[in-house]
Amino acid sequence: MAGMRLLLTAALLCSCTQLLAEANSWWSLAMNPVQRPEMYIIGAQPVCSQLPGLSPGQRKLCQLYQEHMVYIGEGAKSAIKECQFQFRQRRWNCSTVDNTSVFGRVMRIGSRETAFTYAVSAAGVVNAISRACREGELSTCGCSRTARPKDLPRDWLWGGCGDNVEYGYRFAKEFVDAREREKNYAKGSEEQARTLMNLQNNEAGRRAVYKLADVACKCHGVSGSCSLKTCWLQLADFRKVGDLLKEKYDSAAAMRISRKGKLELVNNRFNSPTQEDLVYIDPSPDYCLRNETTGSLGTQGRLCNKTSEGMDGCELMCCGRGYDQFKSVQVERCHCKFHWCCFVKCKKCTEVVDQYICK
Amino acid sequence: MAGAIIENMSTKKLCLVGGILLIFQVIAFLVGGLIAPSPTTAVPYLSVKCVDIWKNHHKTKWLMPWGLNKCEKIRDLDEAMSRQIEANDIVFAVHIPLPNKEMSSWFQFMLVILQLDIAFKKNNEIKDNAEVTLDVSLAYRDDMSSDWKEMAHAIETRKLKCTFASPKTIEHEGRYYDCDVLPLMEIGTVAHKFYLINIRLPVNERKLTNVGIGEIKDIRLVSIHQNGGFTKVWFAMKTFLTPSIFIIMVWYWRRIKMMTRAPVLLEKVIFALGISMTFINIPVEWFSIGFDWTWMLLFGDIRQGIFYAMLLSFWIIFCGEHMMDQNERNRLSGYWKQVGPIAVGAFCLFIFDMCERGVQLKNPFYSIWTTDVGTELAMAFIIVAGICLCLYFLFLCFMVFQVFRNISGKQSSLPAMSKARRLHYEGLIFRFKFLMLITLACAAMTIIFFIVSQVTEGHWKWGDFTVQVNSAFFTGIYGMWNLYVFALMFLYAPSHKNYGEDQSNGDLGINTGDELQLTTTITHVDGPTEVYKLARKEAQE
Repeated sequence: MAGMRLLLTAALLCSCTQLLAEANSWWSLAMNPVQRPEMYIIGAQPVCSQLPGLSPGQRKLCQLYQEHMVYIGEGAKSAIKECQFQFRQRRWNCSTVDNTSVFGRVMRIGSRETAFTYAVSAAGVVNAISRACREGELSTCGCSRTARPKDLPRDWLWGGCGDNVEYGYRFAKEFVDAREREKNYAKGSEEQARTLMNLQNNEAGRRAVYKLADVACKCHGVSGSCSLKTCWLQLADFRKVGDLLKEKYDSAAAMRISRKGKLELVNNRFNSPTQEDLVYIDPSPDYCLRNETTGSLGTQGRLCNKTSEGMDGCELMCCGRGYDQFKSVQVERCHCKFHWCCFVKCKKCTEVVDQYICK
Repeated sequence: MAGAIIENMSTKKLCLVGGILLIFQVIAFLVGGLIAPSPTTAVPYLSVKCVDIWKNHHKTKWLMPWGLNKCEKIRDLDEAMSRQIEANDIVFAVHIPLPNKEMSSWFQFMLVILQLDIAFKKNNEIKDNAEVTLDVSLAYRDDMSSDWKEMAHAIETRKLKCTFASPKTIEHEGRYYDCDVLPLMEIGTVAHKFYLINIRLPVNERKLTNVGIGEIKDIRLVSIHQNGGFTKVWFAMKTFLTPSIFIIMVWYWRRIKMMTRAPVLLEKVIFALGISMTFINIPVEWFSIGFDWTWMLLFGDIRQGIFYAMLLSFWIIFCGEHMMDQNERNRLSGYWKQVGPIAVGAFCLFIFDMCERGVQLKNPFYSIWTTDVGTELAMAFIIVAGICLCLYFLFLCFMVFQVFRNISGKQSSLPAMSKARRLHYEGLIFRFKFLMLITLACAAMTIIFFIVSQVTEGHWKWGDFTVQVNSAFFTGIYGMWNLYVFALMFLYAPSHKNYGEDQSNGDLGINTGDELQLTTTITHVDGPTEVYKLARKEAQE
């Protein structure tokens, strides 16, 4: 890991900025804990310039909304966790490589997996920002729909403030898409195709959060009757967002760039994707073997399930290379007595389990 | 009820009055739809999990979720496990409102709802009929730097109603249960700027409190308050309507007093309806801006209850007085069968309201629905009230049916009658049909708008269109019933033109209302022709 970082620093020194800009991503906020803003009240700007992986536009947003950065990091973290959960049984298991490029070179390929990663991390940001809003951590939440901070108390008194899910959506759009929007590529070029693909997938991720947020209502009229009903949006469990995006991953549409500079379907027989669908432009690389050019880590050394016939089964996971069996002793907490939080009493149980590892 | 204004009015004038009322009605809707914001706002909060390091110093310390003296917080409960913090040391803190905002007495009321995010865990499932025990306290302050003052503290239990959508396997650990929202508290005035809620979930294994409630990940609160803008529009409307109804009421009563005969029952009931409408209208809520009157919410319910009871009684009596059979009524006791259910129903609802909102004056966290006995009691009251309402409507429908039967009977024999009798009956029929028509129109409007507001809100997701529909519903319907009462008092007041004749007839010693009506209608020169014209029009329709 340190070696990689050294390498990247070297790359920076070589002023190979192109490479760096592509390799770095705001996802890295998930890896390096962002300093809480209150520690940096005086020297505000260094925080943003010290954060790795931000594009110029994102850096500007960082300076304006510094307190948001912690939550973007948290959003990215929960997105990576969710990605790893959804792909735990796949050959590509969303593993992180290093601290700056996070997922490694595989993200250079505009594959289905890349599409999912972009979508889930955009969703993670929407989720985290609106969560932080509701916790009272962000002072610009809600009323800031119109850029009139002077009128904020009046708007709040008159008709309440906007919804925090909407705020999360809008902020995530600004921040996540900033990186794609600041680049200008020739119409119909490969780079433009990739930019369009990223934008589409980011939007799909954000919409997944919005779509799964459901309306809860409460009646509170005269004597508790339903003459007065108030509703609000509540976010779904992030796991559900992951499930939905996984479904979208399975039905993702293959696209190519047209000469007009728009994405079009490779196969015209299918319905064209809506804003909620994922798209990809490149076929997925072979995740079986380690490959430095594609960035694939290979499945060597992965645990597999001997009895399963699915993707997590040893046959498919190890790509027919076979597997090693070994016994491992696992010490676990067991017979625990749980409260609503924090268990109280546990015993330690040891168990010998057979485990299989791909060759 | 002698020759009312409505009978003696020319069609043109009647149309003019109708047109003016309609304009006011449209204005009432527009005021709500265009000027006012949505009636209420819901603000979702996520409680911050604080570590109660002051526990041993006991209960003087309030834990703040953010701001200058914010508590030591943990991000999630896994962190608590690793730091060996126990369930009893965790306090869920919520500050209302969010940063940079202030609550205001324009918000009128605030109710807070509780939602628990409970994660499924194979070896820590929610038990059947689980109850969660909350140790809640509420504090307030009026500026950011002063100390918190306690407003209420209670230990409450709430029933958990949760379902788990996925199969209960290890695979689905970590997913959340779908839990029903729980009522947490309700306060009748928002007199302070900042509120702080601290919730603890004390665990006691011996008493089985908070055992088997699953793994609580988060506590979410939603506060609902009336919008300041809506309150202002509402107050303005009330302030405008009060004198209008009051003036017409005084005018109406003066007219009745000018007659030599004593007012008949129907006239008294209309007057009473006017009084109850004024009672609702009087904008005493203005005081809630300056004073901390927590009983305002309850008072509002009572005022509405009185008006509804009055309105229902009026309909019955109006039908009864237009029955056109030879029975002598004109006494309230003659209607005990019909008015009885109204009284019983209204009383039941009053008791229910006292049990809920009355107790909440003392303990804002109280809810009658949380205990089994309370739920049964509340249901009993509501069911009795419902039965009474059904009974009432049966009576009302039956009476309306009777009136229509009598009308058709009378109409067939109308040509054979003497002119005087005929005009008398035609007047009665017209009066009845007219009221029937506008009442039905008002009731239909109320129901339609109610349904519209319910349906559209259910589908609300992106737009802000329904916001206006809801406010328009409130101002429009409120304006409509005011106009209804106004029109009733205006059109059903004794006609001015009869005034002189009334006096001359008074000497004859004819005392029954029926006979008096007869004479007054005939002796008038213009009246009969007008009535005749209108009645003919009615018949044509």
